[in-house]
Amino acid sequence: MSAGTQVHANLTEEQVREISGDLDEPEWLLETRLEALEALDSLDMPDVIKTPGREWTNLYELDFESLVDPLNAAENKDQVGPDEANVLSWADAVQEHEELLKEHFGSIVDPQENYLTALSTALFSTGTVIYVPEGVDAEDVAIRTEQNSRSLFNYTLVVTEESSSVTILERQSTGEEAEEQYYSGVVEVAAGENSYVQYGSLQNLSEEAYNFTVKRGVTDTYATIDWIEGNLGTQLTKTEVSTELRGDSSETQIVGAFYGHNDQHFDLDAKVWHRAEHTTADLITRGVIDDISRSVYEGVQDVGADAWDTSSYQRENTLMLSDESEADASPQLIINNHDTEASHSATVGQIDAEDLFYMTSRGVDPRSARNMLVEGFFVPVLEEIDVDELRDDLEELIGARLRQRD
Amino acid sequence: MSSDQDHLKETDTEARFEFKKEENSAVRSGKGLTEEVIRMISDDKDEPDWMLERRLRALEQYQNMPMPSDWPGMPDLSELDVEEIIPYIRPDVDKREGVDDWTELPDDIKDTFDKLGIPEAEKNALSGVGAQYESEVVYQNMQEQWEEKGVIFCNMDKAVQDHPELVKEHFMTTCVPPSDNKFAALHGAVWSGGSFVYVPEDVTVEMPVQAYFRMNSEGMGQFEHTLIIAEEGSEVHYIEGCSAPKYGTHNLHSGGVEVFVGEDAHVQYSTVQNWSKNTFNLNTKRAICEENGTMEWVSGSMGSKVTMLYPCTILKGRGSTDTHITIALAGEGQDIDTGAKVYHNAPETSSTIESKSIAKDGGRTNYRGLVHIADGAENSSTAVECDALMFDNESTSDTMPYMEIEESKVDVAHEATVGKIGDEDIFYLQSRGLDDDDAKKMIVAGFIEPITEELPIEYAVELNRLIELEMEGSLG
Repeated sequence: MSAGTQVHANLTEEQVREISGDLDEPEWLLETRLEALEALDSLDMPDVIKTPGREWTNLYELDFESLVDPLNAAENKDQVGPDEANVLSWADAVQEHEELLKEHFGSIVDPQENYLTALSTALFSTGTVIYVPEGVDAEDVAIRTEQNSRSLFNYTLVVTEESSSVTILERQSTGEEAEEQYYSGVVEVAAGENSYVQYGSLQNLSEEAYNFTVKRGVTDTYATIDWIEGNLGTQLTKTEVSTELRGDSSETQIVGAFYGHNDQHFDLDAKVWHRAEHTTADLITRGVIDDISRSVYEGVQDVGADAWDTSSYQRENTLMLSDESEADASPQLIINNHDTEASHSATVGQIDAEDLFYMTSRGVDPRSARNMLVEGFFVPVLEEIDVDELRDDLEELIGARLRQRD
Repeated sequence: MSSDQDHLKETDTEARFEFKKEENSAVRSGKGLTEEVIRMISDDKDEPDWMLERRLRALEQYQNMPMPSDWPGMPDLSELDVEEIIPYIRPDVDKREGVDDWTELPDDIKDTFDKLGIPEAEKNALSGVGAQYESEVVYQNMQEQWEEKGVIFCNMDKAVQDHPELVKEHFMTTCVPPSDNKFAALHGAVWSGGSFVYVPEDVTVEMPVQAYFRMNSEGMGQFEHTLIIAEEGSEVHYIEGCSAPKYGTHNLHSGGVEVFVGEDAHVQYSTVQNWSKNTFNLNTKRAICEENGTMEWVSGSMGSKVTMLYPCTILKGRGSTDTHITIALAGEGQDIDTGAKVYHNAPETSSTIESKSIAKDGGRTNYRGLVHIADGAENSSTAVECDALMFDNESTSDTMPYMEIEESKVDVAHEATVGKIGDEDIFYLQSRGLDDDDAKKMIVAGFIEPITEELPIEYAVELNRLIELEMEGSLG
């Protein structure tokens, strides 16, 4: 089915012009937005995995446009960082760094990649631009977004110059809850030569919300991008976290943790494209699903023909706490260069009965024993998180969710 | 190797597969697919009406189904033109159902199979042999001791005539219905030949049963159907081998295999596929396992231009077990897209999938597999292991597993590795006096050993020899 059958009942060119005008955007940005709006008719939903007779995530049943209320976006945002780095709101960035935006905006995530990226490009009204000049080490950049409207379209751009580094912690939550809400985020990261980007993200939106997010980075020579991705909120999440290793000897790590309960549905993609020599990738995701929730994991390690001397590893583990939950996983290897060391593994299972027995035999009550084992299950992922604040928050949220359980 | 297998040493395997024969046929259908062609095939076989009806229904389904196109990384089928394929050629054999004495075969056919090492293999280690030339089974023989126990091993066309009840019940009904996929529908319309194996309750056929399929004519399609019914507590091992000489135009092989594994029964199905490198090999193979039944698939895919084959097991009965062992070797111009499908539909079922693939000279291998554990299939377990070896930078090696887990009391593990041949391993072997080529051959032989171990010795020898031939001159 093509998205072209949908009628844009509440989407107009005027709205897009108004959003762009309010932000005082230059003509070229408005054009990009209008082109994205026009392309909606011909674009498909993001790819989801299909197997005989099943579609792992059904995005077509959702009428995204009925969730969209473009002119009434409301949020509560913090954008803070050290003085050496430039942490700017989108409106400020448009005024102060137009050349930077011109160079990078839409260069990593194609605005017309699919229907939802185009929708996001046409309608985003808020965003953050983080620019780290050469040689600067910027820690503790924090972006906090609290959604207070029916829909919110957010855009983030990170540009690091040569030999700089930055650690970013992004959080999404819901302030005023509404029956159905839609959060859409596009994140582009351009990591310059020998720079280091750590981008942590904790999504804890309302469980009524829908979420579509693409986070994608491109590395220059010797650059590193480390992603940390925590997913706890929403009723439906479709995300991609990915890195294109374009510079020789560049590296990436994607660390993911999720905990689904009730009827939550997480469709999480982790992807790496090795496109240069001596590149390294490490993908680690662990998740728990409970009640009637469902997780879909797609991991892709794609090694191009010119990616000599590649190392690429992927692990995914899912723990099922309930019999009614479902875990789908597809870790994929696409290898076009033989000078590669690549592996992946995926497991699905429940809490080990022997472990549980051991702990109860030591006098721990079954409920605490189970909670300790689930917390222990996340440890290998938590250990990979360098940002203390994010790790503590994630641990706490996992603990809280476990304690809600009987 | 014992002296029994000397014939294998003497036969030059390459010559065995490369020779062509002048085509000498009695009946030959036109190209393409029309109702007339289907009626002609059915009429030539003197089939009962119900079979003709099934064929026509399958034809209709075939015509209404689109070509698969939305699979990620799907092999290129654009050069396959089913309308240009000759679906049916009956070789000129006096007796319609084939012969059961080797000497009665026409010389040219006998000569072909002699070159392939059949039926020497039968004399040595097999309990039954069937050989199919073009669309028809030309030779079928079962050793008497098994016949006495009620084992049936015959040509599928003959089974339609002689065992209509069994065939009517099992033929493309619950296991592989024509609606399963476009090529299953095509198969249902034009199928010809193949084997029918029936093993009664508690009978163990100790020696493997073998069938050999050969396409000799240019631009033809082979659509043999294999139906195996293993009753409660029985045991059988079926082996098939396939080959064809290479012509300019494309051949199509679209076989159908259905296996019914009864309670406590054990079926092993082994394939050594060496179709010529202009063959499109698009098969549907499926087994249904009852309580405590065991299904084992062993597949070696060396030949063909494109192979799309995912043997499937439906673990229907409690405690049933599935094993898949797959080896794929893709060289220049080859796309071997193969894997496994397992549906765990009952408690305490287990499956093990082991896949080994080798890509070289620009070939592509892909493991594409699906493991589905249904809600309620408690205490089931599955372990999938894929290893791939790459020889050069022109080749591609993909791994695309899909896991759908609806049950929490399970143990699911998937692992895959891809790597090049280790320089250290080669250096070690060279330091022991082996040259580069021999060192690589030895490493490959070690890599696929888990597969060859599962095959009777003459097949293991043949597989090794085939792989050696594929490797020769290509290393560097």
